[in-house]
Amino acid sequence: MRRAVPALLLALALAAAPASAHVGSPNVFFDGQAGPYPLRVIVRPPVVIPGTAEVTVRLEDRRRIDRVTVQPVLFQAGFEAAPDPDEARPVPGAPGLWSSQLLVMKEGSWNIQVAVEGPEGKGTVQVPMPAVRTRLLGMGRGLGGLLLALGAFLFVGAVSVVGAAVREASLPPGTAVDRRRVVRARVAAGLSAALFALAVWGGKVWWDSAESQMRTGLFQPFTVRSSVEAGAGRPRLSLAVVSESGLRDWLPLIPDHGKLMHMFLLREPGLDAFAHLHPVAQDKQQKSFLSALPPLPAGTYRLYADVVDEDGFAQTLVDRVEIPAIPAGGDVAGAVPPPDPDDSWWVSEPLGASPDTGGPQVSRLAQGGTMLWRQEPLAANQETTLRFEVRGADGQPAPLEPYMGMLAHAAINRDDGAVFVHLHPMGTLNMAAQQVFANLATDHSAHASMAGMAGMDHSAHAAGSVVSFPYEFPQPGRYRIWVQVKSAGQVLTGVFAASVAPRPAS
Amino acid sequence: MESIAPVAIPRPRAESATMPWYLVTMLLGSTGIAVGILWDLSWHLSIGRDTFWSPPHVAVYFGGVLAGLSCGALALRTTFAGSEAERAVAVRFWGFRAPLGAWVAIWGALAMLVSAPFDNWWHNAYGLDIDKFTPPHALLTLGMVVIQLGALLLALSAQNRAGTASLRSLSLAHLYGAGLLIVMFIPVHVIEPNGRHTNSFYALMAAYLPFMIVAVARSSRARWAATTATAFYMLIVALTVWIFPLFPARPRLGPILNPMGHMAAPEFPLLLVVPALAVDFFLQRRKEKQAGWLDAVWIGAGFLLLFFLVHWYTAGFLLSPAARNWFFGAHRYASYSVPPPSALSYQLYGLDPVTPASFLMCALWAIASTRAGLWFGQWMAGVRR
Repeated sequence: MRRAVPALLLALALAAAPASAHVGSPNVFFDGQAGPYPLRVIVRPPVVIPGTAEVTVRLEDRRRIDRVTVQPVLFQAGFEAAPDPDEARPVPGAPGLWSSQLLVMKEGSWNIQVAVEGPEGKGTVQVPMPAVRTRLLGMGRGLGGLLLALGAFLFVGAVSVVGAAVREASLPPGTAVDRRRVVRARVAAGLSAALFALAVWGGKVWWDSAESQMRTGLFQPFTVRSSVEAGAGRPRLSLAVVSESGLRDWLPLIPDHGKLMHMFLLREPGLDAFAHLHPVAQDKQQKSFLSALPPLPAGTYRLYADVVDEDGFAQTLVDRVEIPAIPAGGDVAGAVPPPDPDDSWWVSEPLGASPDTGGPQVSRLAQGGTMLWRQEPLAANQETTLRFEVRGADGQPAPLEPYMGMLAHAAINRDDGAVFVHLHPMGTLNMAAQQVFANLATDHSAHASMAGMAGMDHSAHAAGSVVSFPYEFPQPGRYRIWVQVKSAGQVLTGVFAASVAPRPAS
Repeated sequence: MESIAPVAIPRPRAESATMPWYLVTMLLGSTGIAVGILWDLSWHLSIGRDTFWSPPHVAVYFGGVLAGLSCGALALRTTFAGSEAERAVAVRFWGFRAPLGAWVAIWGALAMLVSAPFDNWWHNAYGLDIDKFTPPHALLTLGMVVIQLGALLLALSAQNRAGTASLRSLSLAHLYGAGLLIVMFIPVHVIEPNGRHTNSFYALMAAYLPFMIVAVARSSRARWAATTATAFYMLIVALTVWIFPLFPARPRLGPILNPMGHMAAPEFPLLLVVPALAVDFFLQRRKEKQAGWLDAVWIGAGFLLLFFLVHWYTAGFLLSPAARNWFFGAHRYASYSVPPPSALSYQLYGLDPVTPASFLMCALWAIASTRAGLWFGQWMAGVRR
């Protein structure tokens, strides 16, 4: 058994801007139907709490909509305690685009209920959003300098006012200031300067304490420890939750696509070997997991494990794990779970092995098929749609089947590990969490019809052999994308490279 | 209750009997600030969500801007176009001239202004501190209070220079300004009736209320100054208790644990006129209100005793169903985010009991506070510019 090097872990944790669900990629994308209306909803959660969530709703065809409302719902409080829905406003000059800002007052598992009304009726969709503090903001030099100058001005002004008060305020009108008053004024100004300095120092202590409170209040993902027990023959991978996040309890998990955990293993540094596994919980607290390990090449792997709490809070557990060379024959002591039938893995050429021309990329699939990505120029923080076309060995469009209930799965990882996201054609939103809130909504209103809930028909996101994913790369840099589909009963994994430019200055 | 003490204060030659224009705008601005703060509190209790431009904020900014602009204009006018008489009652400040209160108020308005970018950054860095007191909010509040102090000083200097013709109205203006300042210094959550059987409530109140009330009484030329100023405080708060709940409101922030249908009322005001009577009673018995250490003992102890009796014995009433009516509005001091029945509104805390020893300590606080108030009031009584 080999363990990840703590320093490397630390580096990974530092590189990864913590986000609850996914890593470094907190924005929630949803593509789907709200009643008769095809929509894209983008929720940008606040980075500080209380803070503002930005909600954008875009109608994806030319239908008319008259009204869009958004309503924030906290899981623990339910729909009963939600405020009245907010009217989203149409964005001028962008037909079909609506936007709204919502105040999120508490940390936790939130949901935005988006309701759309038009001549064809009303449609509703739930978009879950974990809200946690994720960022500490430093003060820029410009603002810092300005505030310092203004503060100094106020300080000197206050001391001068005290001086002026003692010197002249009680002087009978028209009388000149005498020497005695000038001296007294100077003494008073000096004393008040000391007093005000003390007050400023008190303010600094107060500020520091707020800063340190904020620092400890930042969301920390649960720490997990993973290891591979190779022995000989059938190796297994175990994962255990070893520390509390300090801000959340480890709640019972709920299955997403029928699995409690979706684990991704990505080999460093070339991101060439990939596995998508489904470890099984070994204890009642669901703090320890075990999975059969597929035949992966030895090396250091990034480990990302997606889980969803029962309150709909989705989170990604992060670790690094050494996979040793596995000798053939023999068996490991102890139980080795049978491999999950939906486990899949794939080995490709390392990232950067082929020059990225920015043009179309073709990835060879198992069984001789191909997956084609007509890459568009990508920039950070710019919404895009990643569209992939699957062809069989005969060059004809390959008919796709659902893989764990979805037409496709994608995993995206930045070369340094700072960004990881697991998404589907319906977006980055977590479907188990969406179901939690859909149930809550149904409980709340006996009239609410599940037919109005979007996202239940997961095969609607592509026609035949094309799959697409809504996404926004959060940072510039080099990324690897794995796209998984199922055709003729076999899981196929396409592997691509993406170069994301910095956001162009607008 | 208003009558003027026959106090001989040397006054300058003939002065107009009317109230100066800047005193009117300053008291208006000060009112905007005090009422705006109470309104904002009610807004956050009942609606929750606001913007920079919410009506209560506008009332507060109106107060700040009115004060800043009128005092700025007064300073420019006095410096560059002031008559001999106007310049004679001005204080020099960095080469400019204006009455002291104007400089104080201008500083307050600038402090409010400076707090804005600081507060904006704070929100971005640490979250929208809607119901939390933070350093930028402290600076903002300091700015507001200093503006009100400026209004008070302007009224004071006018009163101190006034002849009999205008003394009554200027003295009332001073006491009204003092009432507004007392409103600002009595935060609603600090005076919730369920805390009125705790030692910390009396210790806190004894620490600064005597200072404020005694300073006002000492500097006023009215006989019943403390009583009048505290009556203004009670009237202003009571009006908001009666008026705010008349307006419908719906919470706009979740989770809504108490669906309110109207604006919340602030807590019913403290019954400050009762201990204020003691202050006036003692000061009236001193020539020109000149009072020393021994007087401070009597005034401080008297103030605390009356304050204690009246608030200790009315706390239970304010928590009882008898106070849940339009007049006391006990049931209308509620928040959308606290599920009813709020424990706060229906029980008395006794975790921090008042004991003879702790009460003696409170009395020492009250006496020291009174002595400081007498000292500061004496200085204020001499402010002529």
